[in-house]
Amino acid sequence: MVRIKHRYLLINILYPDPKSTSGRPATKPGDEVPYTVQFRRPSPDRMDGGVLTRLIRDGVAELYGDYGSGKVAGSLQVKYFSQATSTAIVRVSRDYYRLVWAALTFATRLPNPVGQSCVIQVVRVSGTIRKSEEEAIRRARLSIRRAEAAAKSSNAATAGLAAATPQLLSTEDDDADMINGIEDPDDPRDIEEDLDDDEG
Amino acid sequence: MAPGRPAQSPHDSGGGDNNSKKRKDAPTNPQHDGPNKRPRQHIDQRQKIRIARTLSTQTTSAAFQNGALDVSSFVKSRAYEIQALENGLQRSKKALNERAFQQVPKELRRRTASHNVKRVPKRLRARAGREMAVDNTPTVTARRRKPSGHMRLRLETVKKLRALGAKRKAEKDKPKDASVSELPAKDVQPGTITTAIKPRTPKVKKSLLATPPVPKAKFRKRQIHKSWLPTHLYHAKRARMTAPSAPLWRFAVPLTPTAKSYRPTHRASHDRGAVAWDMSYISTIQLEGRESSVLGMLKAMGAAEEDLSGRKASKWRAGLRVLEAFLYERESPHELIAPVTMVWCVYANGAESVEAEGRKRKVLLRVHPSAFFQLWEEVLRLAKVAKPAVSVEDLRFEIGSLEITGPGATEALLGALWPSETVSASNSASNAATTGMDVDTTLDTPRSESVGDIWQKLAGLTNPALLPQNALLGFNVQDPRLHHPPRTIALPKSDAEQHQLLELSASWPIDAAQKSCDIFDGKARHLASTTLPSQKAVNRRKALSPPGEYPQALPKDPRMPVLLYSASSATPTNSSKSRQQPKSHNGGSWTLLAPWKCLPPLWYSLMYYPLSTGQQPRFAGLDQKRQLAFEAGKPWFPGDFPGTKAGWEWECEDRRRREGEWRKRPRGKRVGYEKVEMGGGKKGEVGVGWACDWERLLDGPAVVEEAALGVVEDDMDVDGVAAEKAGDGAGSAEKAGEDTVKPAEQEKAKEDAVPFQAPPKPSQLTQLSTRQALALLASPEAKLPTHINLTSALVTVRLTLLTRGVPQPCARIYRLPTDNADLRRQWLALLPSNLPHKKQKGPKHALPRLPKDAPAHVVQQRLAQSLLEPPRAGEDKYPACPAEEDLVGFITTGNYDLGEGQGTGIGSLLLSRVRDGGEERNGCILRSAGTGLGRLARWEVV
Repeated sequence: MVRIKHRYLLINILYPDPKSTSGRPATKPGDEVPYTVQFRRPSPDRMDGGVLTRLIRDGVAELYGDYGSGKVAGSLQVKYFSQATSTAIVRVSRDYYRLVWAALTFATRLPNPVGQSCVIQVVRVSGTIRKSEEEAIRRARLSIRRAEAAAKSSNAATAGLAAATPQLLSTEDDDADMINGIEDPDDPRDIEEDLDDDEG
Repeated sequence: MAPGRPAQSPHDSGGGDNNSKKRKDAPTNPQHDGPNKRPRQHIDQRQKIRIARTLSTQTTSAAFQNGALDVSSFVKSRAYEIQALENGLQRSKKALNERAFQQVPKELRRRTASHNVKRVPKRLRARAGREMAVDNTPTVTARRRKPSGHMRLRLETVKKLRALGAKRKAEKDKPKDASVSELPAKDVQPGTITTAIKPRTPKVKKSLLATPPVPKAKFRKRQIHKSWLPTHLYHAKRARMTAPSAPLWRFAVPLTPTAKSYRPTHRASHDRGAVAWDMSYISTIQLEGRESSVLGMLKAMGAAEEDLSGRKASKWRAGLRVLEAFLYERESPHELIAPVTMVWCVYANGAESVEAEGRKRKVLLRVHPSAFFQLWEEVLRLAKVAKPAVSVEDLRFEIGSLEITGPGATEALLGALWPSETVSASNSASNAATTGMDVDTTLDTPRSESVGDIWQKLAGLTNPALLPQNALLGFNVQDPRLHHPPRTIALPKSDAEQHQLLELSASWPIDAAQKSCDIFDGKARHLASTTLPSQKAVNRRKALSPPGEYPQALPKDPRMPVLLYSASSATPTNSSKSRQQPKSHNGGSWTLLAPWKCLPPLWYSLMYYPLSTGQQPRFAGLDQKRQLAFEAGKPWFPGDFPGTKAGWEWECEDRRRREGEWRKRPRGKRVGYEKVEMGGGKKGEVGVGWACDWERLLDGPAVVEEAALGVVEDDMDVDGVAAEKAGDGAGSAEKAGEDTVKPAEQEKAKEDAVPFQAPPKPSQLTQLSTRQALALLASPEAKLPTHINLTSALVTVRLTLLTRGVPQPCARIYRLPTDNADLRRQWLALLPSNLPHKKQKGPKHALPRLPKDAPAHVVQQRLAQSLLEPPRAGEDKYPACPAEEDLVGFITTGNYDLGEGQGTGIGSLLLSRVRDGGEERNGCILRSAGTGLGRLARWEVV
């Protein structure tokens, strides 16, 4: 028997418009939220796997017409969607995952019940759900570390302490990366950090 | 998904309410209670997997209070995600897991389907119990199992017989009631045969073939045409035995364990563990007489002079070493019988005086059962004419033996063999901890030490090859059932202890301490097997001993005489000192001789000994024996000696088997031997494709014509006539039947389904010993005994492939072409030593792999190099196989060699054809039967 082969897309949803998002920065004055945290906002509660499916289906239909939606419809499934972290894993058949990817890339706005402008990043395409889950774990770890480092540095800055630790430097670099809005998963620095993390 | 709650598995709600034998309904969907069980179970499993695969998620409102974005909530939400994903990974992996019964390691596979929790390892027991409770699987014990069809019939018969027997016994016992009560007392106290009427000591009938022991009535019907090995019951449960209709050498021999064991056997024998065989089928003959006359007999049978009477052989003659030598028939044509192991009994009371010259001595000859009758007749004939007389005794069913090899072999034997002498000396039964090394005792006074004491000092020895070659130990051991289950012995840990072991093996005090061994004494053997206490009596004694300790040894305990020797080689390879031993990394093995009836307890103790390296010794069958001999690069008797009678019979049997397999297949799916491209436009396999066709090899060019006619014209009459012309009388009929393929012939072959009888061996086919072969090869003028016909003398060789490929049995061996200079040059160019690039990385026999970013000039260089590359197999330029006049022999055993990491083979060559090979005499070309592709190889005499 021939196995039906799939691709699993690990995606992140970003909300660039701060006004309309659900997670607003805390209003307290001395408690600024670091950029890395602001960049990865949670999704609104109404957003769920169904909405994401609809978004993809509509997008594919718009871009590729009936052909595309027919090819994709059979296998499209949202395997995992976490609102708190705006991470999702989407399954699609191996032959047509590019259609879905394109639809995701061209999406600018979540469909109606949510109705918010968004950017969707496909951060990993893998053949098994296991690998995409592992990647999601890796990325979650990375963002935790960055958030903590950023929080520390901002606290240090407000307290007027100049602690030039290597970690601090690296977070600055991270922030510089973040300004471009592009994460490079294969950045050697990241891997080193990973290794450190494992040792610790 | 509820926030923060991981998905639940469906097996949470339990509670057994009914005792029905059906599986319980799945707790998750009790509303489904329809009659269709199977689909529901299916759904249940899928549901289980789906639930296990669902990942829990957290909503934004739960993660962030009031939707406020701050670092701690952010971190917490990610941490939650990590947790959820990791859980999901774990759960989905577990959902696909099998039941505990299916997780039992491979060695315990036999128990998987037993439906009894007590049969799985302890660590899995709780889980298995839970699973069985959930599924409502009834526990099954052997006692309560419903007997299957055949078993039911058998049990009914047993019941009937038992009733009959009881009735008869009751009638018989009626008149003499008084004597009945005394009988069980014998069981309780073994070793005390002090009854008023002494049992008649069995008179040994010399010069008669031994009859197999009369089996229990229960098993008698199954041993009519064969006998069982002493450990048959153990093996029959765990191994594939010879088919009941086709016993090997009149024994039911274990062929291979039921569990997969090719690689595990290799590992256990080379790296870690031990492999044991019950070798009781090896036949033993005892000669008794004056040393000179026995030696004369052996000399008459062609044993080499220096082996028997030289200074080096003095230890063997004293009974301190074992000798393995080829014996030949006395009458011309002096055919090789078999390699025979010979052991002398030690001089009685150590007196090697002049007076001892006249005394009778005993020697044991051990020979493979396939050659037993040949040797027996030869020995009988010689014993009759020997002066002073030599008496011959057949000890086939009296002495059993086992063999054990591997790094843990010595350790396992130490755990099983508890010498009796030490007990009588110190009279203190000690537990396992003290059986190992006794550090305090020194080696200063070897005289006072008994062989048993020295034996126990061998703890820590991983390779018997460390000991003097062919070393020998004879002593008495206690009943191993008293120390069952065996415990791991104490092994030497410090350097000093290791050093002592080295010193021991160098000085080898056994030579001084060895007394005459009881195993040569028929009475001692008989006593040991008859006074063996019953298992009940042993159990009683064990029950009386304090917990955790073995029962005290009593002076009345039976003493099992054993003889232990380390064989470092399967066949005699003496006189080959100059040549490097093919593979020295293979450790030696121990052979243990013990009375036939004493073998089972020893075997069980050995098999259940917990090795210090983990696991227990493995048992193995005939196939493993051959495999290990092959991996050690040694020929296996009889299979690899086609020039002997036994080897010829083995070959015929093999031929028949292969032919059957070949004929069984449909035409389109079997090798068409008549269509094989032989190179040079010739077609058709040389000789019979499924055989090592020695007749064809010997009969030379006359057969070539015949084969050409038979194959090309496909004419049966011509074939038959030619075969008759070329063949030697009796063999011709078979030949006509076997030669090439023809539907009519096949049917004819099917018809005659008479019991197989091997055709007589071609009379001129002989096998040369290693020594003779080496002498002949070393110098062209070397003299052979006149009786040997050099043109048809075979020599056993080991072949290593120089390029690639794996030799198969029946593969044809060609010498490098002799009359076609061009072809010869082409083959020589393929030799690795003649190739331009020598040391290289990357794949073997190919150019090294280029890195991805190799610069252009390197790529060009590579291109040029690849043009100079010798032709690969399958390419047009690859040299064709030599013609039939260059055929020199056949591979008898060939396979991928796990030790070597490449294919090797054992085969036989016609010595006369390779004797004058010029340069590259040892080079040869191998071609598997049924293929046209030759491979370069090199041979060496073994």
